[in-house]
Amino acid sequence: MSLLEVTGLKKIYKARLGGTSVEALKNVNFSVEKGEYVAIMGESGSGKTTLLNILAALDRATEGTVLLDGMNLSTIKDSAIAMFRRDNLGYVFQEFNLLDTFTVEDNIYLPLVLAGRRHADMKARLDKLAPALGITEILKKYPYEISGGQKQRAAVARALITDPKIVLADEPTGALDSKSSDELLALFKQINQLGQTVLMVTHSTKAASNASRVLFIKDGVIFHQIYKGNCTDQQMYQKISDTLNLLAQGGEQ
Amino acid sequence: MKIGFYPKMAVSGMRKNGRLYLPYIIACILMVAVFYIMHLLGYSKMLENFAGAGTARDMLKLGTNIMAIFGTIFLFYTQSTLIKGRLKEFGLYSVLGMNRKNLGKIIFFESLITGTISIACGLLIGIGLSKLAELGFRKMIGLDSSYKFVISMESVFFTVGVYGFIFFLIFLNAVRQVRFSRTINLINSDKAGEKPPKANWFIGILGLVLLACGYVLALKIEQPLSALLVFFAAVILVIIGTYLVLIAGSVLLCRILQKNKKYYYKTNHFVSVSSMAYRMKRNGAGLASICILLTMILVMLSSTSALYVNKEESLNNKYPRQINISAGNDGYSDSYGKEIEKVTEVINKKTEENGAKITNSYIYTTCSVTGYFENGKLRLDIDPVKMFEDNPLGNITTFDYDKIVQVNFFDLDDYNRLTGNNETLSSGEILAGIEGKLQFGNELIIGDETFKVAKRIDTKQGDFKHTMNNLVVTTLVVVVDDFGEVTSRYNRYKDATGDTMLVWEWHYAFDTELDENKQKDLNDLLRNYIRDELYQQKFYAVRCESRVEERTDFVETFGGLFFLGILLSIIFLVSCVLIIYYKQISEGFEDQSRFGIMQKVGMTRENIKKSINSQMLTVFLIPIVVACMHLAAVLPIIHKLLKLFGHDNMPLLLICAGVCALICGIFYAVIYKLTSNAYYEIVS
Repeated sequence: MSLLEVTGLKKIYKARLGGTSVEALKNVNFSVEKGEYVAIMGESGSGKTTLLNILAALDRATEGTVLLDGMNLSTIKDSAIAMFRRDNLGYVFQEFNLLDTFTVEDNIYLPLVLAGRRHADMKARLDKLAPALGITEILKKYPYEISGGQKQRAAVARALITDPKIVLADEPTGALDSKSSDELLALFKQINQLGQTVLMVTHSTKAASNASRVLFIKDGVIFHQIYKGNCTDQQMYQKISDTLNLLAQGGEQ
Repeated sequence: MKIGFYPKMAVSGMRKNGRLYLPYIIACILMVAVFYIMHLLGYSKMLENFAGAGTARDMLKLGTNIMAIFGTIFLFYTQSTLIKGRLKEFGLYSVLGMNRKNLGKIIFFESLITGTISIACGLLIGIGLSKLAELGFRKMIGLDSSYKFVISMESVFFTVGVYGFIFFLIFLNAVRQVRFSRTINLINSDKAGEKPPKANWFIGILGLVLLACGYVLALKIEQPLSALLVFFAAVILVIIGTYLVLIAGSVLLCRILQKNKKYYYKTNHFVSVSSMAYRMKRNGAGLASICILLTMILVMLSSTSALYVNKEESLNNKYPRQINISAGNDGYSDSYGKEIEKVTEVINKKTEENGAKITNSYIYTTCSVTGYFENGKLRLDIDPVKMFEDNPLGNITTFDYDKIVQVNFFDLDDYNRLTGNNETLSSGEILAGIEGKLQFGNELIIGDETFKVAKRIDTKQGDFKHTMNNLVVTTLVVVVDDFGEVTSRYNRYKDATGDTMLVWEWHYAFDTELDENKQKDLNDLLRNYIRDELYQQKFYAVRCESRVEERTDFVETFGGLFFLGILLSIIFLVSCVLIIYYKQISEGFEDQSRFGIMQKVGMTRENIKKSINSQMLTVFLIPIVVACMHLAAVLPIIHKLLKLFGHDNMPLLLICAGVCALICGIFYAVIYKLTSNAYYEIVS
């Protein structure tokens, strides 16, 4: 069984007044195997953020099911959803979303503290994680004292520390310069190679070319997908560009 | 651009920020209304028609000035918070092509609108409420109600003038804030990241030390009058200490809590402790101000209400009989007694001629000296007051105010008569009693004389307790058999100014069966006679006071004080509440994104609610808890000061303080609920 199974996903936004409604997701079907590194690409308004929000249980689908490790997201009670997110998902945001009231260390601990873990336990996990992410030096600093790349690495640490089933990343390189972007992508690849399942939403071809599989979403449906197979990053980059060109020209599936 | 453009911009801007502007305008209206009422009562002819309204009106006049100053400070503070929230909007206007002058016009119209609404509504409400306030005031100081409706043009003009000026100052301040910032800073003003404060051990501990010093000084004071300077020092220490402790000490506390891993990394503590640490530096000053305001309210309300509630008892304490006569002179002389005997006879005769029978009378003479008690000996060769004045600061630490002691000598006959006892003494023996704290053995040395204490006596027996009235100094009662002989030995002591130290006093007080008006008449008659007679004989402090007359004065003074206390408390309380409200609301907007992130990371709604509640509770509780501590520390001094007004009722004072704290607490709890709901709505 796949780790993540999405079937017949539909999301309709209704305007509060009047009957106008927008169909953000029409019919999305795909699955992600354990240990995969999947990128979802699409233009603004294609529905990729909506999709990610539903996967992260931040939003509810109008129709369809999302199964994570056999659990149906739509059957989880509202009161339990935050807990579910905390225990099963790691989320990396475009804008880092680190809290300026906490040190980097405390920011990383946050989900564990919310889960009520013991401090010794948290520290053991961080000690293992910090060297791999290269953040040992900045743990005691506050977010305002560190660079964007460092912030994003801290955010990745926060996503990983709960040992989540899947890491969801929303445009993780969007707010970074190219050097930091490269470092972060290398980091994602590295954690994926350690067995972590990653699902990334992006419109950067370069970011997507790191993934083992790329899904293209357009007008609320999965339009196409490419497997990396044995391609190099460069070859993958080329393949993605071609597909994007095709999409832009309004090509049919 | 049309003429109406700027007013329109101003109105729409204010409407959009209604959540901040509405309470601000309400506060302004309230301030204007209260100012008008105080001015009306204090300055208009409304209360002129009755005798002796002077005290109360003077207090109201003072209150008016306090109001003007406080109003300015408070409105400035609020306005600068308000404008901070709008800088971004102004930045946007500026990007869209408005120059500083245009922005100034918008601010001008905003100030104009706020000012006009506040002054107009405030005056209307003030005029409406002034009748109510007048009735309340009249009731409190015991006057009949009048049903005239007064609008004082003078007060209206004065209010408009003062508040017009305040709003003008506020306008200038707002313009200054906008003018001196660059467009880009305006736009980013709400995003400017802030460094989390570093814990400052030095300042935090200094604050605690200052606070402790202030408390110790305040609690050490035995005689508030001669130690007023010490008291002021204590007050200032406590105020500075409060600020330092709340600003730095609270950050320190948070940091210490954060060091304790077991405590800190708990779901309930994690978020609130860290955000408190982050906030406290900015909030500390605000909280400390609230705390000082609350302390003022509590001190004011509890002392004035205690005075007012207890006014009848205080009156009876200070004026034990319907007619109270006293006179004084320097040193001791046998001739005084003869003169007094003559005067007493005439008083008795005149009273009888007036158709009144003297009942319930008491009469006594006493002599007193004041010295410094050291090693079981009362030293008369140093003048403590002068010593203090010469070197006030040096003496705060070395000088023990408890040891300034007044000795009152009484004749055994007087003592036996007043208490109904039948004590006997042999030569060199005394009866000794003490009012205050003082340790002495079986031998007492006063100046160069040594006395053997035959018996300790209670100073509060029978009519003897009236001799102990209105004392603020530790007082030693010495009853001797040979009064004239003993006291004349002290005639040789001189004080620092060269006057005879020994003071002789005579007291005579009695009741009659006359009604109140006739008591007054009799009192006037006696007073004229006694003054003529005794002033001629070089006596001084000649008094003849009737309780009836003094009652009016008491009721007016205490009623006026209480009324003023209530009015000022309302103002202060409203300001406190508004300060808190603004703080929380503006923080709510800042926290919006923070709580959003935490929700995404896995914080449940329940966690959020809990965290908000604990945060709010701390912010609300700190000032009132600290204020109650301050109140507790200052109560002993209040008690001693109230003794000057003849108020010696500690239980009542405690009850009043408790009730006031409770009322403030309830009021506070309501605001807490409202504010935390508003806050929760913003962040979720």
